[in-house]
Amino acid sequence: MAEFRLPANSRIMKGVTHAAPPGTRAVRTVRIYRFNPDSGANPRLDTFELDARSCGPMVLDTLILIKANVDSSLTFRRSCREGICGSCAMNINGVNRLACTTATRDLAPEIRIYPLPALPVVKDLVPDLSNFYAQYASVKPWLQTRTPVPADRERLQSKEEQERIDRPAACILCACCSTACPSYWWNSERFLGPAALLAAYRWIIDSRDEAGGERLDELEDPFRLYRCHTIGNCTDVCPKDLNPARAIAEIKKMLLERHS
Amino acid sequence: MSLRSPLGKVLGVGSAKSGVQHWWVQRLTAVALVPLSVWFVVSLLSLPSFDHATVVAWMSGSWTALLLILLVLTCAWHSQLGVRVVVEDYVHGAAARTVTLVSVLFVHTLIAAAGVFAVLKVAFGAAP
Repeated sequence: MAEFRLPANSRIMKGVTHAAPPGTRAVRTVRIYRFNPDSGANPRLDTFELDARSCGPMVLDTLILIKANVDSSLTFRRSCREGICGSCAMNINGVNRLACTTATRDLAPEIRIYPLPALPVVKDLVPDLSNFYAQYASVKPWLQTRTPVPADRERLQSKEEQERIDRPAACILCACCSTACPSYWWNSERFLGPAALLAAYRWIIDSRDEAGGERLDELEDPFRLYRCHTIGNCTDVCPKDLNPARAIAEIKKMLLERHS
Repeated sequence: MSLRSPLGKVLGVGSAKSGVQHWWVQRLTAVALVPLSVWFVVSLLSLPSFDHATVVAWMSGSWTALLLILLVLTCAWHSQLGVRVVVEDYVHGAAARTVTLVSVLFVHTLIAAAGVFAVLKVAFGAAP
């Protein structure tokens, strides 16, 4: 049956508190989920009290500050710090988002940071995304054609045809959407999740692609596609303002049209 | 522990090539239930009283009996489709899921058959 309670070794314990440096006038409190697989201990929630004036504008700046000055064992992914690589996706104050594009001043006085939900945790804020990436790979996210490439040019698209895939192709695979989806929490091993389905949609509607039928065949499944119950968390949390929920609805419509 | 590749696990045994029908019929039955439910509630409320004789007389009408049978069948069908989704969402493990799904189907069939039988029995005037 479904598990509604965390297993005993996943329950979060009280962690350590790192007090603000002496002389701090404005304290910013940040609570961060910590887990070290080598220690054998349960995860814990550490509290970091920082001088608000020393923190940069974004949550990622605060994390880097903590790692540099308070606890160098704090582990998280980050790379581009401008919302294009998708590495620093995490659950900040209950919402999946990118640490680098989330301003601390928009958050409640206290910041709570957890890894993306419902994924195995490698360490601290680093989740295991192997299944997520395999789901992306399973939709064959590349151009498939039978017509040979024209000898004298690329495969052309009209402006309108390009505009159709412009938004769906802007996905950065940060996994905010899939890990915000309750259906994905319960059935991530069989439901492809919004990110992979958005990618599938992007290739189905690509005017140059000639494998739309096979792509739909692969999605026509009670679990792969139809676990989506139009909850809409995916579209709510997308840091790039994309609409995976609509993409999934469009796929369902295409499948229906094929049958009627 | 499994050393199978993540992609191997995702691809699994492939797509079922079904699900459209379930999804579409669930929507169709939902749409059909709107007028049927409205008719049922309005029709019941417009009865002068709820005593046995009045309700039996109401149910004996041809249109009433016909629409009641449609209501019972559509309700049971829609409910079966919905409960099936809930079971697939929350019951994990092939054995437990199959047993639950079969039971759900049997119970809904029983309810639908009993409902239709009850309406016919009253409509065709058998003594209660």
